[in-house]
Amino acid sequence: MKNKILNYLAALSIYGLLALLIVYMYPSRDNFNLGNIFKYHEIIINGFFTTILVSVFALIFSVVFGFLLYLLTTSKVMFLKIMGSIFDDIVFGSPLVVFVGVIFYFIAVPLGMNNRLIAGIIALSLYMAPYMKNLFVGAMESIDDLQYQAMKVFGFTTFQKYRYIIFPQLLKIMLPPLVGNLTFIVKGSSLLYFISVDELYSTIDTAMANTYAVVEGYLTLFVLYLFITIPLIRATRYMERRISNGNQNRESEPLI
Amino acid sequence: MEIKIENLNHSYDDKLILDNINIELKDKNAVALIGPSGAGKSTLLRLLSKIENQDSGQIFIDKEDISLKNSEEYYKEVGFVFQAHTLFPHLNVLKNITLILEKVHNVSKVDAKKIAFNLLKKFDLHEHASKLPNQLSGGQSQRVSIVRSLSINPRLLFLDEPTSALDPVLTQEVLNTILKLKDEHMKFIIVTHEILFAKKAADYIIFMDQGKIVEHGDVSILDNPQTNQLKQFLSNVFVW
Repeated sequence: MKNKILNYLAALSIYGLLALLIVYMYPSRDNFNLGNIFKYHEIIINGFFTTILVSVFALIFSVVFGFLLYLLTTSKVMFLKIMGSIFDDIVFGSPLVVFVGVIFYFIAVPLGMNNRLIAGIIALSLYMAPYMKNLFVGAMESIDDLQYQAMKVFGFTTFQKYRYIIFPQLLKIMLPPLVGNLTFIVKGSSLLYFISVDELYSTIDTAMANTYAVVEGYLTLFVLYLFITIPLIRATRYMERRISNGNQNRESEPLI
Repeated sequence: MEIKIENLNHSYDDKLILDNINIELKDKNAVALIGPSGAGKSTLLRLLSKIENQDSGQIFIDKEDISLKNSEEYYKEVGFVFQAHTLFPHLNVLKNITLILEKVHNVSKVDAKKIAFNLLKKFDLHEHASKLPNQLSGGQSQRVSIVRSLSINPRLLFLDEPTSALDPVLTQEVLNTILKLKDEHMKFIIVTHEILFAKKAADYIIFMDQGKIVEHGDVSILDNPQTNQLKQFLSNVFVW
């Protein structure tokens, strides 16, 4: 453990030195003043929480859309299957920023949906839906046919099958990649700037435009995004490790 | 146990798997279905246990036509052990048993634990009670599967080649567990390739080939087969 901390400190020091070197090489370093950006701390804090809000809602809706897409693509009705696969192709073939623009200008606006925040959440959720669908496919496949047969011969009702056997297994399998996808959503949410949602990137961009403190602005963005995403990345790794270790040697709970 | 099968037929994709099966068994507690692969043994077991429904014909168990019985009710009375263990991977051994007792059979939490733990103890599995299935050996998992099926106190247990996925050492471990069932007068029907075991554990043998029952009788038919097909089958089995 101690060794690990020392190694961490060593690695961080190298990155620190690199950062100092960059600051030293920066031509107008004497003008460097984070205060220029921090003057706008109120809107930045709002933007920060908007990013978190957008991301959490987009995660929830993308799970719902992903499950619906899973039902479409695994449907026995050919027409529904094709509908699902066309949607997959559209998402996998579009850059997120273009997709967000298309959803907003071609769908939300004509439908009279002028709330950019909601339109942004929906666009992000739709974009993430095929990725979520893939998680469902993988997770469902991990429950083998024998388990379904066992549920049948033990007389479980459909509700009991999902409640006690299928859903707990899905949750366990899907949780780490879900948190991983949340990281992706947080990063992707910065592109909602293009439809003028006041999220983190957009608010700091406003501060940069007003103060010309571009370097300070990007540094703040960099730190704040990492502040959100690194814990998520670490949590994903932790859960993955815990699950794979747990499968080998963790006793699930004490006896009686 | 009384079993009567009348004019039973079953096909998969137009391929006839069971071809007009007729048999009547009375007062048999341990029945072994033997025969070469593809003979229809497992299919017959799946029809007897209502995992699948027959194309035509009738099956009576203890004078009841099982096709008229509600599946969920039927499954509360019988147990089934598959070729590979079917323990739910996210639940420990104890919970694999208690969940079924509590949720399907409405047994109280305390009683379910008592039943499960006593059974595990009886089969020397109690020290694994808090382990997850993937912490068990193949033999242990299959033994827990058997114990789980017993926990509902079934009047009849179906075992479909319960050792086919195991190596010889683990096979022995599972077979010993099944022998114990016989000692306890548990009624069961087993599909098996272990002929010596069938001789020891069963009190009635049904030999099937190409979807038909070719020969049946008490275990002595294994020493003294009457049909060429059984003779041939046994000579192939004991070729080494």
